[in-house]
Amino acid sequence: MNQEQISQILEDELLNKVTKPTRYTGGEYNQVKKDWSTVNTTMAFAFPDVYEVGMSHLGLRILYHLINDQENMLMERVFAPWIDMEEELRKREIPLFSLESRRPLKDFDVIGFTLQYEMSYSNILNMLDLADIPLWSYDRTDEHPLIIAGGPCAVNPEPLADFLDLVILGEGEESLPKLLEAIGNFKQAQGWRRDSQRDSRKALLRELAQLPGIYVPSLYQPHYNDSGHFVSIERIDSTVPAQVSKQVVADLDKAYFPTKSMVPFMGVVHDRIMLEVLRGCSRACRFCQAGSIYRPVRERSMETLKKQAEELIQQTGYDEIALTSLSTADYSCVEPLLKDLLQSHEEKRVGVSLPSLRVDAFSVDLAKEVQKVRKTGLTFAPEAGTQRLRDVINKGVTEEDLMETIEKAFQGGWHTIKLYFMMGLPTEEEEDLEGIARLAEQVAYVGSDIFRSKGIRKAVKVTVSVSSFVPKPQTPFQWEPQDRMALLEEKQQFLKKRIRDRRITYNWHDSKVSFIEAVMAKGDRNLGKVLYKAWENGAKFDGWTEHFRFERWQEAFQAEDIDPEYYAYRKIEYDEPLPWEHLNYGVSRSYLVKEHKKAIESELTDDCRHNKCSACGVCSSLGISVDLRGGDHGQNSDRL
Amino acid sequence: MARIRIAFSKEDPVRWLSHLDTQKAFERALRRAQIPLSYSEGFNPHPKISFASALAVGVVSLGEYVDVEVSQEIEGAEVVKSLQTAMPEGFRIIEATLVPSGQKALMALVNRAQYRIKAPLLKVLDEKTVQDAVVNALSLTNWQVEREGKKGTVIKDIRSGVYELKSSIIENHLLLEMLVQTGSEGNVRPEEVLSIVVQQESLPVNVDRLRILRLGLFVTKGDQLLTPIEVLKAL
Repeated sequence: MNQEQISQILEDELLNKVTKPTRYTGGEYNQVKKDWSTVNTTMAFAFPDVYEVGMSHLGLRILYHLINDQENMLMERVFAPWIDMEEELRKREIPLFSLESRRPLKDFDVIGFTLQYEMSYSNILNMLDLADIPLWSYDRTDEHPLIIAGGPCAVNPEPLADFLDLVILGEGEESLPKLLEAIGNFKQAQGWRRDSQRDSRKALLRELAQLPGIYVPSLYQPHYNDSGHFVSIERIDSTVPAQVSKQVVADLDKAYFPTKSMVPFMGVVHDRIMLEVLRGCSRACRFCQAGSIYRPVRERSMETLKKQAEELIQQTGYDEIALTSLSTADYSCVEPLLKDLLQSHEEKRVGVSLPSLRVDAFSVDLAKEVQKVRKTGLTFAPEAGTQRLRDVINKGVTEEDLMETIEKAFQGGWHTIKLYFMMGLPTEEEEDLEGIARLAEQVAYVGSDIFRSKGIRKAVKVTVSVSSFVPKPQTPFQWEPQDRMALLEEKQQFLKKRIRDRRITYNWHDSKVSFIEAVMAKGDRNLGKVLYKAWENGAKFDGWTEHFRFERWQEAFQAEDIDPEYYAYRKIEYDEPLPWEHLNYGVSRSYLVKEHKKAIESELTDDCRHNKCSACGVCSSLGISVDLRGGDHGQNSDRL
Repeated sequence: MARIRIAFSKEDPVRWLSHLDTQKAFERALRRAQIPLSYSEGFNPHPKISFASALAVGVVSLGEYVDVEVSQEIEGAEVVKSLQTAMPEGFRIIEATLVPSGQKALMALVNRAQYRIKAPLLKVLDEKTVQDAVVNALSLTNWQVEREGKKGTVIKDIRSGVYELKSSIIENHLLLEMLVQTGSEGNVRPEEVLSIVVQQESLPVNVDRLRILRLGLFVTKGDQLLTPIEVLKAL
């Protein structure tokens, strides 16, 4: 089926039948539709979730425009079709197609999946199947596109290794244009994809493996012991790099950032301008994978951000700018930037929002700036219920910080507070869970007291969301086991019984989902067949509560005779080999061990931005450095 | 403070936008076009934009209308020029004109819609059979159709809302062109009219592959039909 036929059926029959047809139409303002005959390399950016989730992802926005701004390449988009559309596609044997040209995915040279969360892996398999592309990399030939991936879960891509031709480590704006150029050159020189008689795929992959940040799983062989447990992973010969290192943007201020950004028709999750103020976070929370893998902290200058905001407002017509990053209150120029943006665009009624707040008074002051009138809720993440456990995870927040923050928020006129916690953290005791309930109650009391004294009749609302800790690779907790499901459920019930206050709403996560997430996060290549089986059993949209079925996974583990508990529940010794250690994210093993030991001793580690270097190894091993744009940073250290 | 009335078309691919999506698309395009919008007061200021009538998802229209309040007077031609380049592909800005003060709201004004509906025929048919079906249908005084409401299915008689109905066959498709009621008095849907006609002679059409085109929206003035822009010119 070619693009005309697909388009015809889509317009005549399918779009009428499915919910939210603009998930599939394309045509958004600032969409780029390039002529295929003018480029050497074509790539489809594949987001393994539904449109409204994928279009909220900043990485897609950056790479889409970056690649389309290059003369010799183009990028189009594809998202996981929702259940109703999938059914129609399968019924009519219509291959999965891109939004821009409506070409079948098979027509592209490269299909690139972004790995945002483990629970989207089954959708990757499903999308390949819908595209009529063989799932296993060794079943693919020159007639098929290269299947590549990148994003945060590339930190341990091993469970997906047998499905992927290559993986990009680190920040894509560095490596992707170079990769696509190399593929284009190879295509022209070697006739790849034009001469069906030849199989030059292997030669191409060997060549691409030489590029910095490019990991070709098929060139690395894992070894297992008699019990099937991972022992080592080695390159197949000495022409292949022994280690692959993540690539990072050294100067974020000069890095590409699109200002002719697409404007979706339907409401998407983040339906506003996303202005990235900084990348990385060095607060060094010990559970946090993003804190490890996006190091070091690099900021954009005020001048650049002001200019980008101006252009984005003009080019998109949005009336809201979100200042995005892992922790925007940490941006060294956040206050002057906020004031400037609000003032410069007041006439156009452009609002500014801060998606991430720290637990401190300063953050509430910032929130006051942006939510002058409409005070929706404020969200804070103390993460743990006692000071001891917060010290274990290096969350530099004291109870006084939290109470001062909360007081300020209620005084400032907010009446809904959301608190995020984790359960199952290393060294957790009953007292720590009790601490969650106690903190929530205290927050509610403080709120009610303030409201009473001010004569406000509105009720205080506190929402407590408690997720289950999932140990992640490249963090100091990578050696830690996850709590058993039964124990997590017991803890969830404990809190449910314990939290009786009607002002408090308590939410928790499905421990079964967290379990599969843990298995996949720390899994090895052996899990590929489990994933395949689970997909065969019908797994898809596993990140959506209504579509996740634990039995599909249980049956898959049984069928493949693989014990998931080995991955999730085992305490790993420091000298054990790890399936992801041939991939270098810059943070040294010795730093992670040191941090892990400090955690057990409840010892804190400072933020290297404002204090002394904690010797994580990123800057020295990647040849870059922390890049702050504000004035005197020493002043900020008391905000920790 | 002034009001601008804009005539536009909604074609591929934006025919798939819902009414809410269309409102947002206009709001953002007007901002991109730097048209001086007037905003509502209150917590959450919104530009004051009102459409003549909601268009069903998937329907192409050659005559839609929207009124936009602006904070300073601006030439219609200028609006057409700057807004056209700021619109997503598929929206065509046809005309724009200032609305004198004291004029009725668009939504209260429009009461007729003209549609063309095209359905693939499953068997070859002659024009006569189709015309008979139309004549038969029009001779009936009661056209009962089912509508899904919030409280379940309701039966409604739409006959009095159908003012003109013509049929033809082109390239093995049944074509109906109609003038029907719309707006505050009630809405008649073109696919409902088709279903009544098809029932008469059990016409073999594929209702899964309908194409609907709204040719325009009108205001009755005596026995005249005027577009919402012609109404202003006739003042």
